[in-house]
Amino acid sequence: MLLPELFAMLSSDLFLLLSLLTCLLEDRFPKAVPYVYQMAAIMGFGHLLVSRMFLTVFDEHMRFWYNLFYLAVALANVVAINLYLAVSKKKWTLAKVWSSAVTFPTVFISVLFVYNYGYLQGETFPLLILNLILVLLLVILGISFSVLLGPKLLEKWRR
Amino acid sequence: MKIGNIRLTKSTKFLILLLTSLLVAAANAAIFYNLTMQPQVSVSSPALKFSTAPDEPSGSTVNDAWCRLTAKSYPNATLTYEQAVYINNTDGGSAHSFRLRHVSITPANGTSGVGNWTSIKFLVYNSSGYVFSLNYTVSGTDWILEPSVGETSYYSIPLDTGWWIRLETLSPATAATGNVCEIQIEVDVQE
Repeated sequence: MLLPELFAMLSSDLFLLLSLLTCLLEDRFPKAVPYVYQMAAIMGFGHLLVSRMFLTVFDEHMRFWYNLFYLAVALANVVAINLYLAVSKKKWTLAKVWSSAVTFPTVFISVLFVYNYGYLQGETFPLLILNLILVLLLVILGISFSVLLGPKLLEKWRR
Repeated sequence: MKIGNIRLTKSTKFLILLLTSLLVAAANAAIFYNLTMQPQVSVSSPALKFSTAPDEPSGSTVNDAWCRLTAKSYPNATLTYEQAVYINNTDGGSAHSFRLRHVSITPANGTSGVGNWTSIKFLVYNSSGYVFSLNYTVSGTDWILEPSVGETSYYSIPLDTGWWIRLETLSPATAATGNVCEIQIEVDVQE
């Protein structure tokens, strides 16, 4: 059985990944960004500690939602960096690489885990809301792809 | 030299971040493993329960999970407690299997006190009749168990059904009053 804390661990690892990648691409990001992501990852560690200490106090429903929120924040950062590279920095090639090597796999894996968790706990959690959120995420991801893979489309929109 | 003036190369920064990342990831994994291994033992009522029956020996104690029967034995006469104790399957959802397993008996084998009994039989019945039994018979100064392995096979008791134990005791004509035999039997239940 999956524990909702899996999302917190996944998110924390995502922040660590972002920290390392932004350090490697340091000339394209503000200097503090890698350290901010490290702090965010350490917050995830604190998140897990709190979950462990209050395991008997917090019910699974509550643990699921606050862990999912943390995962959503991590995924939003992944997508935000993608958009930052594409829109603000106009590094189309890098944005495409980021999209296919980081954004797509992380979002896909996260969606898979969340959906699987929601399916297993179908009686407890509102699957309909979860499905709507996931569909929304996929739509946003699809739009991002079409924009990133075809920069001319973005130019068209601007005009 | 001020700490703020120290300039780190990109590779040094990356190495520091990599090391702290490994540390945080390992700590996260350890906490998560600890969470998954957290035992969750909840107290619940047993599926198979003992309950008092019409012919329960006087002075007996019957609880849900255990019972103590204080039976008598008469010299040269078989004493039968037709329905000594009930074993009920209170699980309305499924059948459960159980067996009787010998744990201990006093007086122990080889002691002269054993000769004060001829047999003590625990027979399990249901509404259709006899099902199985765990018997103690005496040969000289030794208890002979039947089945000899000291435990019966498992028998499935249907959901919401009550079976009962019939207790039969017999002592030889030469038995002395005041002797006490203590038998401990486990009821193993397959959940």
